[in-house]
Amino acid sequence: MSSPEPEMPKTYKTAKAFCLTSAGWFTMATSAGMIGAGYLIAPDFMANIEWIHFGRIRPIHVNINLFGFVTPGLLAAAFYFLPRLLRTELYSEKLGIVSCVLWNIYVFAGVVGIGLGYTQGREYAELAWPVDILVGISFGLVVFNLLMTVRQRKEPILYVSIWYACAAVLLTATTYCIGNVIWRPDTGALLGIPDAIILWFYGHNVFGLLLTPLGLAVAYYVLPLVSRSPLYSHTLSLIGFWSLLVVYTHIGTHHLLQVPVPTWLKVIAIVDSVAMVIPVMIFLINIWYTVKGKLGVIYADIAGKFIFTGTIMYFFVNIQGSIMSLPQVQRVTHFNNWVVAHAHLGVLGFAGMTALGGLYYILPKITGKPLYSRFLADLQYWFVLIGVVGFTIGLTIAGLIQGNAWINGEALYRVLPEIHIYYVARASTGLLVAIAAYLGLYNVIRTLFFNPGVSR
Amino acid sequence: MYYPYFLAYMISGFVISLIVLIWALRNGQFKDQQRARFLPLEEGLETEPAKVSKIGKIEAYALIVLASLGLFGTAATLIFSLLKGG
Repeated sequence: MSSPEPEMPKTYKTAKAFCLTSAGWFTMATSAGMIGAGYLIAPDFMANIEWIHFGRIRPIHVNINLFGFVTPGLLAAAFYFLPRLLRTELYSEKLGIVSCVLWNIYVFAGVVGIGLGYTQGREYAELAWPVDILVGISFGLVVFNLLMTVRQRKEPILYVSIWYACAAVLLTATTYCIGNVIWRPDTGALLGIPDAIILWFYGHNVFGLLLTPLGLAVAYYVLPLVSRSPLYSHTLSLIGFWSLLVVYTHIGTHHLLQVPVPTWLKVIAIVDSVAMVIPVMIFLINIWYTVKGKLGVIYADIAGKFIFTGTIMYFFVNIQGSIMSLPQVQRVTHFNNWVVAHAHLGVLGFAGMTALGGLYYILPKITGKPLYSRFLADLQYWFVLIGVVGFTIGLTIAGLIQGNAWINGEALYRVLPEIHIYYVARASTGLLVAIAAYLGLYNVIRTLFFNPGVSR
Repeated sequence: MYYPYFLAYMISGFVISLIVLIWALRNGQFKDQQRARFLPLEEGLETEPAKVSKIGKIEAYALIVLASLGLFGTAATLIFSLLKGG
């Protein structure tokens, strides 16, 4: 079944399309984030423009980040490495392009819909029912393309990145439909507490079963290549994969510990949240041992640099998640800006940085030319890193002030002036991330279409 | 009533995972793990490695310092939360 010379795909059109999708929506996501940050500093900022007031711009920002920037960025890398690791061609580039076009249509439709007020009003599940159907179809097409590529493989062994990438899209296709209650088009919701339970079951899994496995797939593929070292242990990586599947699926209720949901469900959520240390540390030990002693080499490569930093962020965001699930800790850290810091660390710090690393790894390979500007990519790296660290520090402090005030029974109007300065700090560091997104888009467009570099 | 949705999803997830696991076992996916470690390297080393630079090393050290500060901050947050929330 195996052959000594790999048969390489010829065009990488799908990977290119998802690269462009990710880089493009990253600019929109950060721009929306900046508008949202502006409202938190000055609530009457752009107050008369209905379609971008805070209640709409925030879900726009979140959905673009999730479905426009990070997921397509990671998928671009997946559409590149799957055929290579399987020694075959992508099952259908045409289908890949169709799925990417449909993907952009649903993100655009979702954004316009939320802007016009068509929202289901559930966190991470705001998109209207017709858009939900488009999301399901887009994921379905990606799942079909990837699984058919696996089916026609010439390499018998599935490398761990294949397991993670396929599981991510397959599980999310299912979880999305259930979490968005698509069998109820009129509301997209159940009634009462059960809806909160199913929403957070989906809300956490859309990160844990989409961004996490896709991010780990990219890291497991790129870091051994950049460091030129074999993976420390493939067996360990598979144990990590299966334990992630077992543990991650039931932890969403840790966002509802202060809500009247059944105690058994809270216990499962807490136990599994703490148990997340197992798959997380398996991945980190495995990948850090793989690159051990090669930090200089990693940092000499722009993709390695982004993705290695992503692994550090992954460590922190997961430690935070496990700690936050403890009821004693959550009394202070939940329902305030601490969670916002946690979310930025996970989505931008871990998954976003890994997606950017994946893009910068594959761009020279799929175009056959070097990256247009290494300097711009380096600049983007530092802007994003400073942005993420800035968000995390500022919002964590603001969150702790809010949590402390809540426990002390202080009135909201007394707390808001205390955290105002941290909102200013957040917007300032957010500006760096927004600039980074535009620099990245320019670099990607130049690399894809107007690259004077010598072909390899 | 959320139990039917939950149970249906959890059971179907469990059954599908079990089927895939059994397929993987029978298909030899857990054999030859030594070769599996090298799979990315077998097809991907077509370019020269990037040259290690002094700035790169400084950047790496800067990241380590940041990570250490992050660890300290996380520990401080945990202690603060336990003191206030416990």
